[in-house]
Amino acid sequence: MRHRDFAAFIAPSLIAMFLFIVLPVGSIMVQSLFVEHDQVLVTTKNCGPFGCKEETRVDTQATEKLRREEPLGKFNGLGTYFNRAHLAIAQVGQIFSGNHGFGDIVSRLYDLPFYKALSFTLVYTFLVTPLCMVSGFLVALGVNAIPRMIKGPVIFLSLLPYIITPLLGSLILFWMINTDGVIGATLQLIFNDPELSLKASPVLTWVTLIVYGVWHMTPFAFVVFYAGLQTLPRDTIESAMIDGASRWERIRNVVIPHLLPLATFVALILMMDNFRVFEPIVGFSAAANATSLSFAIYNDLNGQTDQLFGSASATSVLTMIGVIILLLPVLVRTWRDFKGRAR
Amino acid sequence: MADAVMRRNTTQAIVATSLLAIWLVLAAFPFFWTLWGSFKVEADFFSRQSWWNAISGPATMLQTGGHFTLDGYRGAWIQREFWRAALNTGIVTVCVTTISLVFGTLGGYALSRSTRRYTFWILIAALVFRAMPHITLVAGYLLPFFKLNIWGVLPTAIVVLVAINQPFTIWMLHSFFMSIPKDLDESAMVDGCTRFQAFRWVVIPVMWPGVITTGLFSFLLSYNDFAVTAMLLNQDNQTMVPKINSFLGTVQTEGTIMYAVAAVVSATVPLFMLVMFFQRQIVSGLTAGAVKG
Amino acid sequence: MAGIQLVNVSKRWGNVTGVRNFDLTIEDREFLVLLGPSGCGKSTTMRMIAGLEDVSEGEIRIGDRVVNKLEPKDRDISMVFQSYGLYPNMTVYENIRFPLKVRKVPKEEQHDRVMAAAEMVGLTDLLERRPAALSGGQRQRVALGRAIVREPTVFLMDEPLSNLDAKLRVSTRAQIKNLQYRLKTTTIYVTHDQIEAMTLADRVVVMNRGVIQQIATPTEIYDNPANTFVAGFIGSPAMNLVEGDISDGVFTTENMRLEGLPHTASGRVILGFRAEDATVTEGEGAITGSIYALELLGEASMAAVHVGGELVNIKAGKAFRADIGDKLTADIRPRLCHLFDRETGERISERT
Repeated sequence: MRHRDFAAFIAPSLIAMFLFIVLPVGSIMVQSLFVEHDQVLVTTKNCGPFGCKEETRVDTQATEKLRREEPLGKFNGLGTYFNRAHLAIAQVGQIFSGNHGFGDIVSRLYDLPFYKALSFTLVYTFLVTPLCMVSGFLVALGVNAIPRMIKGPVIFLSLLPYIITPLLGSLILFWMINTDGVIGATLQLIFNDPELSLKASPVLTWVTLIVYGVWHMTPFAFVVFYAGLQTLPRDTIESAMIDGASRWERIRNVVIPHLLPLATFVALILMMDNFRVFEPIVGFSAAANATSLSFAIYNDLNGQTDQLFGSASATSVLTMIGVIILLLPVLVRTWRDFKGRAR
Repeated sequence: MADAVMRRNTTQAIVATSLLAIWLVLAAFPFFWTLWGSFKVEADFFSRQSWWNAISGPATMLQTGGHFTLDGYRGAWIQREFWRAALNTGIVTVCVTTISLVFGTLGGYALSRSTRRYTFWILIAALVFRAMPHITLVAGYLLPFFKLNIWGVLPTAIVVLVAINQPFTIWMLHSFFMSIPKDLDESAMVDGCTRFQAFRWVVIPVMWPGVITTGLFSFLLSYNDFAVTAMLLNQDNQTMVPKINSFLGTVQTEGTIMYAVAAVVSATVPLFMLVMFFQRQIVSGLTAGAVKG
Repeated sequence: MAGIQLVNVSKRWGNVTGVRNFDLTIEDREFLVLLGPSGCGKSTTMRMIAGLEDVSEGEIRIGDRVVNKLEPKDRDISMVFQSYGLYPNMTVYENIRFPLKVRKVPKEEQHDRVMAAAEMVGLTDLLERRPAALSGGQRQRVALGRAIVREPTVFLMDEPLSNLDAKLRVSTRAQIKNLQYRLKTTTIYVTHDQIEAMTLADRVVVMNRGVIQQIATPTEIYDNPANTFVAGFIGSPAMNLVEGDISDGVFTTENMRLEGLPHTASGRVILGFRAEDATVTEGEGAITGSIYALELLGEASMAAVHVGGELVNIKAGKAFRADIGDKLTADIRPRLCHLFDRETGERISERT
């Protein structure tokens, strides 16, 4: 394909991506270096019958004017990155210089908002991804063995958790696990504890969110693995049977190696999607016990009084760095492959 | 597949079948439960005495005089004007899907037909963009959009959603186009077509399955979006998902949570339909990227 | 109607060279076959002529126009692809009409020309079918019909027979030859099958690794291969090539001693001869060895013997019978042998 044709065909797509992906990335990098203006204070001398009094108050008009003129705020360098809400260099330094052992470090780090969000995001990503793959694989094996007639309906039902809007899916589950909901109430009955609430304890909240994550993403792993099972090399399976391999040995030695390339693909997609976990925290109203990087950004931007652009942007930049680190193995491998077959 | 390869003994069959049954209940039960419950009153759907109340609905009988009530739906759709959000969602999803497909087919075709080095870089860049959490980009939109005075309106959200979905769209269409032999467009070009004519008259007519599948996913992405629509649309222009989220703040205090339940069910029904009619395409779309490896 | 000229044409991708310094003049109305193993650059050469690949260097002329920068549609060519490139959403009729429709040929004329072309390739009964409902041979004929309907200056055919079964290949081959004879259109035909090349071509271009090995008529290529590559590529079975020493017109190697060769060569050489040029004899002969394998071909028998480290084929009469391991003696007329340089593979002696 000639350069000219290629350019004409790809232009709309590239321009859209440039304007709304590349430029915003630049924009958040710039924004992250600024913080909101302080309020403009005016000091007036108020002299009354009982002498003079200095009074300080906010000059709302001047503040508004300043904000309008310089919406970016004032320059702050890398200050936002290092403050308590983000990397919290000073606090981390303190924690490491004086602490009462490992447990203390962890719990004090967890009190810092950025590390709290980061730890949940990472735990969520690295637990949900493998769990989804295992459950997806099992479901795929199960569906593969049922009679053809009921496969359609079974696949239909299995797809529902994946296709559902994340926010709505988590709301549906949230209402069920609510203390008044069917699952929540039943759990209270089972454990005979009327105070039991999945929302109350951080651990139970994390578990709930992770269970939701597995529920939501399992169908994706299932569908890909199921498609992979349809292309199993029958010759190899049949010769394994003739060689006397048991069912388990066949799965281990033929099926799993065949699905391995697919597994890499599934893992990649799952990690990308899980890393941005955000809606379930809103849906489950879980922010008190679990926040994620995406949620932290949302929270900054959604501030009731002020939108904290600087803070949100700094978290965004840190999140993007996280994404790049996550993708690095894939990128490096693709690059090697590409160099290998470059002609 | 009931042949020797798939044959198994009874115990294995029972274990496998019951595991599958458990999964199906987990996957589908919440939806049917909520669907049923949305026609009851709050005292039944959120009953502390017995979950059976949500099914039989004694309080519903008492309060409304019928087994089922449309109060939740009436409250959401009429009183809270959920129809406005539904209309906005319709506009946004239709526009996003159409524009995404136009841009995506052009781009995906170019990427599949060029053997040059830059196609590799574009695809890699698209992969990285695809991995970016959407909310990080939203943080970059707000200030410029305020400044340009385009914040809050539907066209802005549509354009942003198109752009955000492009990486995904061109990847998927690229892999569909790769499965169409180059011979086809080359013979069209020898027969007298320009590149674009070959694309329009010869390649697109055989691409419909891929276009439909990708369209479904574009639809899903825009329909399911929360990050972009919640942050970029003002109160009047909200689509269904952010609208439901803003319901939540008020309904809890007003005791009208059934409005939210009804709204959630209403927003879920189209997705149900979609899976029902396009199950095959969705399955093929999910695997499209994987088959290529 | 026009000839084609390729002047010093090269194709490179990065630092890989696909075609190197290709020089060729194709006469008007000529049937030219590009022959070579896969990856030798023959298809790339054709695609450059078609305008489907850019030319890295050199010049391509069709008639008196330089076409390097022209789009495929502006080169007045038509092409038959290996997998035919039929439009699956169109009927046979629409497929054949497509080139006329795109070029805005008047409506009334379109129908007559489509019918004429369909008649020529014998498709008149299948015009309403779609490609999916056709057999391989029928699809192939649709592709041919679509190529001839426009009456272009040049036909390009890229391995058009390779997807057909052996029997159909023979009859379609004849059909292509006949079509070209009637239409008198300059044709370039790419194949890796030497039998197709020998039967169809006015001239054959043998290529290897992007370089032209020999340009000649089929008989010339068979009788006087320019180098060991051509010798080993043409003929079935391929020419026997044995390494050995020559001095004073006597060639010697393991199991072989042949006198009466030209005195011009000496030292280490490669000697080539065809299986049918050797005759099995009783008693004395140039080749003496034990039979490694014996294949009965029906019209003849083919005996394999180790000579100079190679397995050499010798054609014997249809009545010839022997067991593996039996002794075999064969003679060759020296003037039917070819001598090649061991280093370059180029031919040393002219055949007399």
